[in-house]
Amino acid sequence: MRVPVVLRVSLFALAVMGVYTYYANSIPQLQSKPPEELSLEGANVTADQLVKAGQELFKGKGVCEICHRIGQKGTRAPDLAGVGARAAKRVPGKTAKAYLIESLIEPTAYLVQGYPPIMPKVDKPPLALNRSEVWALTAFLESLGGQVTVKLDDIPRTVGGTGGGQAQVAELTLPGDPKAGQAVFMGKGACIACHKAGSIGASPVGPDLSQIAKIQTPQYIMAKILDPASMGTVAGYPRGVMPPTLGQTLTAKEYVDLVSFLLTLKGEAATAKK
Amino acid sequence: MVSFSTGKSSGIRRSGVFARQVAPAICSGVALLLLVHAIPALAQETTKAAPAYRAFPLVGSRLAVWAIAQIHLNFAAFILGVPIFAVIVEVMGMRARDPRYDWLAREFVKLVFAAFSTTALLGALLLFLFIGYYPKFWAYMTGIFYQTMWVYAILFFLETFTVYLWYYGWDWLSGRRKWIHLSLGILANIFGTAIMVISNSWVTFMTSPRGVDEAGNLTSLWQAINNYTWMPINIHRLLGNIVFGGTIAAAYAAFRFLSAKTHEERALYDWMGYIGNFVAISSLLVLPFAGYYLGREIYAFNQTMGITMMGGFMSWLWVLQAILIGVLFIGSNYYLWLGMERIPGAERYRKYIPYLIMVLAAGFLVWATPRSMVVTLQEARAMGGTHHPVLGFLGVMSAKNTAVNLMILTTFLSFLLYRRANRVSTRPWARVGMGLQWAIFGIAASIVTFYGVYGYFVESIVRIGFSVYQVLAVLGAITLVMAIDIPMFKGARSTGTIRWGQIPVRSQYVLILLAVTFTWLMGLMGFARSGIRQHWHVYGVMRDTSVDAVTPALGYAANVITTVTAIFFALVLFIFWLGTLGEKSKGARGLIPVVAGGSEER
Repeated sequence: MRVPVVLRVSLFALAVMGVYTYYANSIPQLQSKPPEELSLEGANVTADQLVKAGQELFKGKGVCEICHRIGQKGTRAPDLAGVGARAAKRVPGKTAKAYLIESLIEPTAYLVQGYPPIMPKVDKPPLALNRSEVWALTAFLESLGGQVTVKLDDIPRTVGGTGGGQAQVAELTLPGDPKAGQAVFMGKGACIACHKAGSIGASPVGPDLSQIAKIQTPQYIMAKILDPASMGTVAGYPRGVMPPTLGQTLTAKEYVDLVSFLLTLKGEAATAKK
Repeated sequence: MVSFSTGKSSGIRRSGVFARQVAPAICSGVALLLLVHAIPALAQETTKAAPAYRAFPLVGSRLAVWAIAQIHLNFAAFILGVPIFAVIVEVMGMRARDPRYDWLAREFVKLVFAAFSTTALLGALLLFLFIGYYPKFWAYMTGIFYQTMWVYAILFFLETFTVYLWYYGWDWLSGRRKWIHLSLGILANIFGTAIMVISNSWVTFMTSPRGVDEAGNLTSLWQAINNYTWMPINIHRLLGNIVFGGTIAAAYAAFRFLSAKTHEERALYDWMGYIGNFVAISSLLVLPFAGYYLGREIYAFNQTMGITMMGGFMSWLWVLQAILIGVLFIGSNYYLWLGMERIPGAERYRKYIPYLIMVLAAGFLVWATPRSMVVTLQEARAMGGTHHPVLGFLGVMSAKNTAVNLMILTTFLSFLLYRRANRVSTRPWARVGMGLQWAIFGIAASIVTFYGVYGYFVESIVRIGFSVYQVLAVLGAITLVMAIDIPMFKGARSTGTIRWGQIPVRSQYVLILLAVTFTWLMGLMGFARSGIRQHWHVYGVMRDTSVDAVTPALGYAANVITTVTAIFFALVLFIFWLGTLGEKSKGARGLIPVVAGGSEER
């Protein structure tokens, strides 16, 4: 039986594509997931936790490993082994901590000889690390041969202030009432039992939410209320404490009001008044 | 010996066909214009109330947009590439005074018609998907580019009418008015290219935005258009479209060759396949240079993006790309070598083929060798690091540039041998000319190799500049060799006529392989271009916060690309089938020029 030409040609074309597809499926499958925001502001973290968080940022969201190696000379960027101690000797009069912070947010301020000025500002898009993340990353770099001394207050308050290129998408206008949301926060939601929000609440059980609108996306806040476990736990706080039932206990209006209230928390003292 | 008959249809019948084919295009154009007119208002309404994203049923919004965008792009490349191919063939016909070329050009412009309305419909569908499922993103893009969208729609009208005039005026504008006809073809391609250039500005803005402030507000429309990757993409896509047009034309010819019932038909479609492949190879030779230009501009825009693209989660993609390009180069050469079997006198050159294969295979292996791999801990331990201790040196750009330049020189040499297969130069200076040609090849290969090796001993910033010398050496060699070759073989003695149609059947499958591979490669490069933005709609300006923000792995992408490519070819096959229906209804066997026995022409 003679196979029609159209069938032969089609089968041949499919076989060719099949080979390419098989090969593509047989090599390591690497996805690029959107990075999660790390929030440490108001958190009670130890130096070890901070270094661990910084190391994860170094390997993950910060994509530092693409150019920098630790204990191996890179062609694009310097070897960072011992940088925690070495940093103190780079610029006269500048501490290791100050040098490292400057290297992250103003990378071209001081260049290591022999390397091109290719490093992006880590707090600007597309990396857009927030203040907590720059804090953790600095701690990790300090730990490479030096002492971890960096505090959150050492990181300039302007760091990550542009919202990480989210200007367009972060402009979320909810029909909720922030005042009513504050009442939910203090009342039915019982959030105040664990969280501080500006001048209200003082409990250290959960993270301080006084700047939550500045350091987290609206999507994160909304998802965190409905499904806290899926959004991870802020470093230094116990897992599974936040109740997963708010989605059932709050009405739709209360939920929207609560989110609207949280979106007003940008660190200014007057955002939440008793 | 070529006989040619022109089928003349009545004016009434022609106007009927014109009305049938033009009407849908006009309707599509009007709809597009109305839609563009409505966009700003629509977008403003959207930003007030609509969510940032909606979920497309079953497959999700990303996959829906991806699939439709890729099919649309394939069709767009088809309707842009085939007319470029047709104009090139028409020019060849004018120069050779051979009516076969004119017939071939006309055949392909005819095929473009059905694809025209399909492309417009897919474009409209893509637009609806953006408006419906990515309203916030689309509102932002419209806010930046709405003025260019008007120009896009107007150019679409101009291109449509010019192409119709070009096709339907083929007989009317023949003879002494042929130059007007050719000008129409060129004009249609200028409009088509301008359309592509405008839409490229939207796509490239997403990758390398410019002309906006930190908050994403427009500061300069021209800068937004003329962003880092705009011009490289324009050049890359223009060349890519020519290759695509050539490979599709060649695949069509292969399909008809395999279906042919008579020797004359086989002879005709063998010749058609050769012309298609010739046009494709000519453009394919310079395509890698355009690719490097694009890569360089990506690095210039943002080092992190460039490094993520080449050494990050996408590193394996380039291994796959190298395999596909290797298939294209080796396939093109193999087709030429098979074609030489039907040329008396070509036996002289058979002895060179093993050496050519060796260079191509070595180049292919070097190009397919990765440098920075994402590997498991066990693999890294086994290799002693993320780079292989020996082969890792072949993964750097010095080696890859050297490999691809030598592969291009080799392919050009194959073409040169094919070109002179049945010719013996009668020029008294032929020996000197050939000696010069070999010397030029040797010098070019030496320059390429020298800078390739030297590149290992200098800093990266210096090394990048070496690729320019390598490219210039290869392009210079091609120009000089052809400058000697053309006069050297003018009036050459023939060793026999080409036996068109007497080519092994497997050669036709090579042509289909090239078309499928190139189309698949287009899909892969589309994924690469889009994927390097990762979780950004507009890199660094507008974050993708949808549920689809994950950039999928290569396997998933390959599944999508294969499905989309299969759908595209099914639709193209349908269009080709429509073309044959037209022939049958006209009883139009007489339209086909018969290549009897053989021909001197190549």
